Amino acid sequence: MKRMLLTGNGAAAWGARLAACDYIPAFPITPQTEIIEDIANWIDYDEMDARIVTLESEHSMITAAGTAAATGVRVFSATSSQGLLYAMEMLYTVSGWRAPFVLVNVSRGLATPITLEADHNDILAARDSGFLQIHCSTCQEVLDNTLIAFRLAEDERIRLPVIVNLDGFYLSFTREPVEVPNSDAAKKFVGDFNAENIRFRASTPISQAVAVLGGSAYSYFRYETHLAALNGITVYDEIATEFSAQFGRQYDVIENYYADDAEYVFVMLGSFSTKAKQAVDELRNAGWSIGLLRPRLLRPFPKEYFQKYLNEKKAVAVIDQNISMGMGGVLHSELAGALYDQTKAPKYLLSFIGGLGGRDISTEEFFEIAVAIRDAVKTGQTPPPRLMYTQAELSEIRKLQAIANVERNELTDKEPGDKEPGDKEPGEKTLGEEND
Amino acid sequence: MYRIRFHGRGGQGMKTASRILGTAFFKQGFEIQDAPRYGAERRGAPIFAYVRASHKLINERGNMTHPDLVVVADDTLVPVPGAGVLTGLENDTVLLINSDETNNTWKQRLNISGNIITLPVETEDRAELRFIGATCSGAAARLIGDISRESLELAIKEELAELGDDVIEKNLTKALTAYDLMASYEACVNNSKSISADNYKSPNWIKLPFDDARISAPDIHATANSVKVNTGEWRTLRPVIDYKKCNKCWWICSTFCPDGAITVHDNLPEIDYKHCKGCLVCVAQCPPHAIETMAEESTLNQEEQS
Amino acid sequence: MTEQNVTIYRNMKNLPSTHLLGTGTPMCAGCGGLEALNQVYDIVGDKSVFVNAAGCMTLLSVYPFTPFRGSWIYTAMGSAPAGAQGVRDALDILIEKKRIDKHEDMQVVVLTGDGSAYGMGMSATSGSLERNLDYLYLCYDNEGYGNTGQQFSAATPHAAKTSTSKGARGFPGFKKDLFAIWVSHKPTYVATVIGAEPVDLARKIEKMTKLQGPRMIIALSPCPTGWDFDPQETVNIGKLAVKTGVWPLKEYIDGKVIHTKVPKQRKPVEDYLKLQGRFKHLFEPVRNEQLINEIQNRVDTYWSEVQLL
Repeated sequence: MKRMLLTGNGAAAWGARLAACDYIPAFPITPQTEIIEDIANWIDYDEMDARIVTLESEHSMITAAGTAAATGVRVFSATSSQGLLYAMEMLYTVSGWRAPFVLVNVSRGLATPITLEADHNDILAARDSGFLQIHCSTCQEVLDNTLIAFRLAEDERIRLPVIVNLDGFYLSFTREPVEVPNSDAAKKFVGDFNAENIRFRASTPISQAVAVLGGSAYSYFRYETHLAALNGITVYDEIATEFSAQFGRQYDVIENYYADDAEYVFVMLGSFSTKAKQAVDELRNAGWSIGLLRPRLLRPFPKEYFQKYLNEKKAVAVIDQNISMGMGGVLHSELAGALYDQTKAPKYLLSFIGGLGGRDISTEEFFEIAVAIRDAVKTGQTPPPRLMYTQAELSEIRKLQAIANVERNELTDKEPGDKEPGDKEPGEKTLGEEND
Repeated sequence: MYRIRFHGRGGQGMKTASRILGTAFFKQGFEIQDAPRYGAERRGAPIFAYVRASHKLINERGNMTHPDLVVVADDTLVPVPGAGVLTGLENDTVLLINSDETNNTWKQRLNISGNIITLPVETEDRAELRFIGATCSGAAARLIGDISRESLELAIKEELAELGDDVIEKNLTKALTAYDLMASYEACVNNSKSISADNYKSPNWIKLPFDDARISAPDIHATANSVKVNTGEWRTLRPVIDYKKCNKCWWICSTFCPDGAITVHDNLPEIDYKHCKGCLVCVAQCPPHAIETMAEESTLNQEEQS
Repeated sequence: MTEQNVTIYRNMKNLPSTHLLGTGTPMCAGCGGLEALNQVYDIVGDKSVFVNAAGCMTLLSVYPFTPFRGSWIYTAMGSAPAGAQGVRDALDILIEKKRIDKHEDMQVVVLTGDGSAYGMGMSATSGSLERNLDYLYLCYDNEGYGNTGQQFSAATPHAAKTSTSKGARGFPGFKKDLFAIWVSHKPTYVATVIGAEPVDLARKIEKMTKLQGPRMIIALSPCPTGWDFDPQETVNIGKLAVKTGVWPLKEYIDGKVIHTKVPKQRKPVEDYLKLQGRFKHLFEPVRNEQLINEIQNRVDTYWSEVQLL
């Protein structure tokens, strides 16, 4: 084992390499590109015995990933946001083939407006597809969970593809110290790919993924895929225990940071949860009884673990780095569903939305969330969901709108092209004028 | 509510039949719901269509589990399990079959106590089979009793408006003839109630057991088992080789058969009647014209004779 | 004679007498596409994986039945060639890494309709050609989106009636030249075939199986349901498509396009058109001389350009 500085992308690439992947169908998209570049480079210099093929789109890429896995080789791929959505049809399709592989998603905000920085709307759009989901908060987790993901996907109780998610920029381009397992140990941990009876061989003809007519027959296949996905909690725990014994790092289905004896709990996904941990430390220093729960597995949804950790808590704030238009935070509503019939569920479940498109969530904002939790308990009232946005941010947007010629028209009720005294002709400049 | 189910094959106008009846009911002042049910567009494959008619708002939808009237346009469908002709038949369901055989023959054959009425088949000409839908809807209208001759006529003119006067005229004649023919059975179809909440048969839910992917993936590990599907049941006309005229140029008929349903034994072509769909390409292509076209007998008939 | 030019199919008598593809599939009676597929499968054989895109033939295999003696996988409408890429690459990897024996290898065959080939699947096909994927591609072209009720596609010929072009003049567009598009990628082999000319088809498939790289076929598939004719006319109509010059039988190999069957005295296109209900509006209630001539002229122009080569 060696401890090196790796970006999240670098860690993901190492995961694929250590898992001895055979096939990497690829397509570049910000912020994932370093992953496929690293792999291409290793293959070119014979450091990795695999094949990488660039397809013409992510939709094709996932199709090729699925058919290669269905033929019987170990497959790895990676994408992000718009690419994940372009492939969406195939995410649903290939999971039903019950041929396992690992897809790394580097989370990025979705158009519109088109952007490059992180949030979780992309990965959450895939939550119904049949892929399992592991969410990482550090570069170390990315590497380790890529290895775990292959074991998880290939387990006979599951046989479904798995997405390992890491936040764009905040993890993908950020270097952190990462212990890179020794390649033999990693290979031994992951084992060989056993295609079982889903593979293409001349001697054993098979018709795969055939059409099904009739609701009852269709329902059987869909329910069984769901039952397989549900096995993910048990199987992940088993594999993580084994990983811990081998490599010394423990991964729980839900990361529990001081939540056991806390009255108040933050719940959030992904790398910004480390910021929440820092805020928890400061709050606890200041006397608060507060902790954090961070689900690693989002699919299957760790319902029982949430119930166990949150029953008897006074109040919970879910911080969603995503937004379902017209509904609100996705994690908030999924958690509410999991707690609904629990007699000891926390009485107050607050919703905060922030971090969209990479927007920072400051430590002070976490403190404010803690205050909001406490106020809810005091007043007996859950506040309405908060879209986190400051006055300074609004002022800034107004300035941008002015430059974009939006704000001025709104304020003065003028038609575009109307002139006021002092307005300049197009092209006319005042000496010393700069863009404001 | 009246619950009517039509059974036919693709190309026989069952969708049109259900719409004619639906529109006829509508003209009589009923609330209606009509729909066809089929997979992809396929000529020859069994399809069915429903009509629901009531003076109240219709909330029922989808599968018609307890029809009051079942109309079968093509009697070769009756023994086909996938066609579901006999599903949900109760003692008071009326079964109308387009068939050359008698009511009594069918009653004995099917061993059901309900009312069976036959509508004589007029022709085996494949082009004429398009009008079966009109004939069936005409007959059905009379059996129901609440639909006047005028409503039926209006319905046909409306539903077939796009097809031109000649076609409309032909369909009208067929439908009204059938309507008149069914005079003695007028209003024999019941207007039944929906399922009672006081007394119903339990759906018997189970907890679905987990099957691992070796079993639960939508994969087929058998090869060419499609032969278990007897597409020969699609046939309304049958090609028959006259071996006295046959030149043994099997490479022609066997190659041109779209389904590969002509096999070769000792240089002689043999038609696989379990799978031949009756397209008659072999008839058209046989150089010595050694293949004849014959009317397809009811498969039940054949079983009885053999 | 090079190895490529030696054929065991000198005439129809040499065609296979047993058919590999199972009967009992739900394709329409008289399906020209199924006829071509049967002929192709007899030669390609069961050491094959058919990778399918959405279309009529998706229903060849409906659980629990399959007509294939070899293998099959349904992918999606737009990405069957990408699916083929995954299978081919995976088989190559398994053989290279000696995880399976060479005799477990199979021919990868993409099977799509014109809807996918001429339209949604174009990007994936182009990618596969550019990567020189070693596979076969069989497009059964019934000149419309057949499985959904024959709406017009990029393969629909000028003036044809379809469910989305029912006006007096039929389809206003023109059939896309998929052959030229594929040829522009310079793949190993491209050919047009039709089930009504089985010897020509057999020779081309035979040739293809001896080559490597992308080998592409378009099979015109007379469609009783979509083109509106009695199923027994399928082969007659197919033969007329060739005899009128509407469907040129040709191949692209070694950088050249060769016509494998040149009709000496082309029959007038209306002999072909008037047998099909989808062109009935060109003849009834009144002859549309203009449209018939337009169609004839395009065919004439095509063949005059061929003569010049």
